[in-house]
Amino acid sequence: MINFILMVNKQGQTRLAQYFQFLSVKERMTLEGELIRKCLSRSETQCSFLEHRGYKIIYRRYASLYFIIGMDLEEENEMAYLEFIHNLVETLDKYFENVCELDIMFNIEKAHYILEEMVMNGQIVETNKTQILAPIHVLDKAKDE
Amino acid sequence: MFHLSQMDQIFLKSLADVVRTSRTTSQYDKLTFTTQTIADIKNELQSRQESVRYQALLKLFFLAMEGNNIRWAEFQIINLMGSGDFQLKLGAQLAAHLVIDNQSQGLIMVTNVFIKEFKSSHIECSSTLSCLGTIANKDLSDSLLSHVLKLTTNTKPLIRKKAIAVLSKIFTINPLNIPGNLEMVIQQLQKETNISVLACGISLFCSIMKVAPKLYPLFLSIVYDQISKQKSNWLLIKLVRISNKLISLEPRFQGKLIEHYTRLLNQTNSKSLQYELIYSIMRHFKNHSQLYESAGDILKQFLNHQDPNLRCLGLECLTHISTSVGLMEFQEQILESFKKSDYFSKLQILQLFKDFTNQNNFQTVIEFFLKYSDMESNDKIIESLIFIITKDKFINVDDPEKLLLVYIPIIAQKIDSIDNAIRFKELLFELLTRVPGLKVYSDQLCNQILQTYATQSDSLQGPTLNIVKRHTQLKYSLNHREIIFKSLIMIVGESVKLLKLEALTNIIKFLEQLNILNCYESSLSDIDSLLFKIYIQIIKSDPENQIIPQMEQLIKNIYTKLHNISIVKISFFYESLIQIKSRDQLQQLYNLFEEDLPPINLEAQKLIKPPEGLDINKSFQIDISEIEKIKNTNSDYIEQKQLIQQQQQIEQNQGEQQDQNSEIQIKVENEEELKPLNNKIDQNANKIFIINRDEELPPGINQDDINKFKEEE
Repeated sequence: MINFILMVNKQGQTRLAQYFQFLSVKERMTLEGELIRKCLSRSETQCSFLEHRGYKIIYRRYASLYFIIGMDLEEENEMAYLEFIHNLVETLDKYFENVCELDIMFNIEKAHYILEEMVMNGQIVETNKTQILAPIHVLDKAKDE
Repeated sequence: MFHLSQMDQIFLKSLADVVRTSRTTSQYDKLTFTTQTIADIKNELQSRQESVRYQALLKLFFLAMEGNNIRWAEFQIINLMGSGDFQLKLGAQLAAHLVIDNQSQGLIMVTNVFIKEFKSSHIECSSTLSCLGTIANKDLSDSLLSHVLKLTTNTKPLIRKKAIAVLSKIFTINPLNIPGNLEMVIQQLQKETNISVLACGISLFCSIMKVAPKLYPLFLSIVYDQISKQKSNWLLIKLVRISNKLISLEPRFQGKLIEHYTRLLNQTNSKSLQYELIYSIMRHFKNHSQLYESAGDILKQFLNHQDPNLRCLGLECLTHISTSVGLMEFQEQILESFKKSDYFSKLQILQLFKDFTNQNNFQTVIEFFLKYSDMESNDKIIESLIFIITKDKFINVDDPEKLLLVYIPIIAQKIDSIDNAIRFKELLFELLTRVPGLKVYSDQLCNQILQTYATQSDSLQGPTLNIVKRHTQLKYSLNHREIIFKSLIMIVGESVKLLKLEALTNIIKFLEQLNILNCYESSLSDIDSLLFKIYIQIIKSDPENQIIPQMEQLIKNIYTKLHNISIVKISFFYESLIQIKSRDQLQQLYNLFEEDLPPINLEAQKLIKPPEGLDINKSFQIDISEIEKIKNTNSDYIEQKQLIQQQQQIEQNQGEQQDQNSEIQIKVENEEELKPLNNKIDQNANKIFIINRDEELPPGINQDDINKFKEEE
């Protein structure tokens, strides 16, 4: 089960945070700061999997943004979640057309909505980009009208 | 609520404005900016205009991401969930997880809002279901269970998918809701064709297995059905995962999966699906050689892959092979992978070898890790090697001699931490306790290790440099060496009786040359004790006094070098030497006291005048009867004394005989032990060192357990 999904930039500023188990603000800030420091200290030759504070962490860097997933320590397929991160980025890219950090900052509710279509209750529910973006296209159409 | 005027609306800050201002604001003004923004948001949330409230919600989102506490907005957000405007409603539902937790009082208000939303359009219903999945607690889930169950039969796959996903949370929170409801869901899933809905169904089964694993027969058939016909990689990964759990509950299920696993393994190119299959096969399909071999081939590819992620996953998979025989197949690939791996992966590999090294690969493993240790992982490597060596009372060691003379010196050189130095010390003591014959090599070991330390510490010669260096971090780097130094000195001291004269003299000469003695201040008593023992042994071994004077000079030189030792201690040392040296003379003195005193020689009497008035020929006892009485008692006393002396003589003779016999036995034993060891190590020599693993079993471990382990190995 996924416990949290984060998008953090190299300066340690969180651009998107979705937690599937409740943590206080202080705990979140501490966790995010520690995670980004750990991810920044790792080189390209090192694997994208590590353990931190009882979570299994899978991360991947896209330009200036780190996509971080925290899971339970019990058996999980890390490779599948690494591919999920790539799927998420491709979905965001498809919607925003050459997505960048600023797109996520200025359209934070849409980024959250896309993520919610993909992950519910810590489980991946949808991976098809068309299916994921269908509701948000309906919303955009309704807004334009 | 208030209505913003047109003028106010012009100056209303949007999310974009807040973001830009936040990025340009300095750190010192951040608090002021945040406080001002929160005050604005509080006002705007009370506005009647939905666009204003929407902008406030977006700004709230942004502040939450920045690390600000927005739980004060719980009531406002719950209020917005019931808004007529979908955009506003959606924003509030997305923000719900930031302000609402299981203990929130506001959840009570949400029930009716959700029930109303379930009857709306499919987009609104799906977003409501997503929100419910995030914030549901026990009360809310019990209230809404029937509504969610109804939604699982909705015509839209989007709604069905989300309803099933919410059900997995509801069943996890309150497992009492499962009976009766699960069967209904399974019936619907059996007719389901949409992959997303099926994937959510499989996730539901995974959640149920955590809280109520005994219900597995209900969905066993549906899992098997899907695994035989599905082609979507995401769904197949979930199916293989749940099959893994089902096999441990129902072993007969394993047989049915062989065909499908073989097909999937051969057809798929997806690395994540391959990993899932390999993981399952390595755990459960060891008896099926063909499938196991195919999985093993793919695992070897993972271990050799350029991608560090795949190498890491390969190692992760290997931890689930529970036998060392299984691990041996992949040993070559694992060791190759070690050279390219990062620190985290190296730790994984070390853990593997800690668990699965045996006598067959012991030497290979030790030599490899000693060769390829680097600065970052050196500490962990040494720790692991010491663990492997000492595991189960040296069960992996078949050649203790080689271990002591070849591997242990190299390990000692690589130690750079106090923890490892302590472990090394314990290793040495235990090894020499269990193989007493190895003590004859203690001088060689001491020389080998300390010579390296002396070479590496050339810059620490002389007392002045020590005083300066004492206050730097170098003192810390010496401490682990001092622990090893002390342990070596102690071992040599214990082994002194087994060493030949030549070896003893070499030790003294070596210590005399060693420049690092001054650095080890806390070891002075150990050095003192060692010198004492060696000197006594040399005295016993050198009756002709050929080398003793030379040794005494060397010992004196050593004490001169040890600047901190007091003169009192040196003088005591020499007093002890003198006492031990004249032991034979003491025996002669004892015999002297036992004999009757002979009369004073007449010649001597010439020199010594008797006192004036004393007649030495005259009896000083006047009463003759008294003289007779004393004479008689004296004669009885003398007879008794003679009898006692005879008895003591007999006992002494017996004791001497026994001592002689035991001495002869020890001599013979030592000679037999030392005979083959006088030569250099012969690789083809028969093993004469047997590790004693029978004594002092740790509490809680039986000899039977050890025997069982040996049989399994």
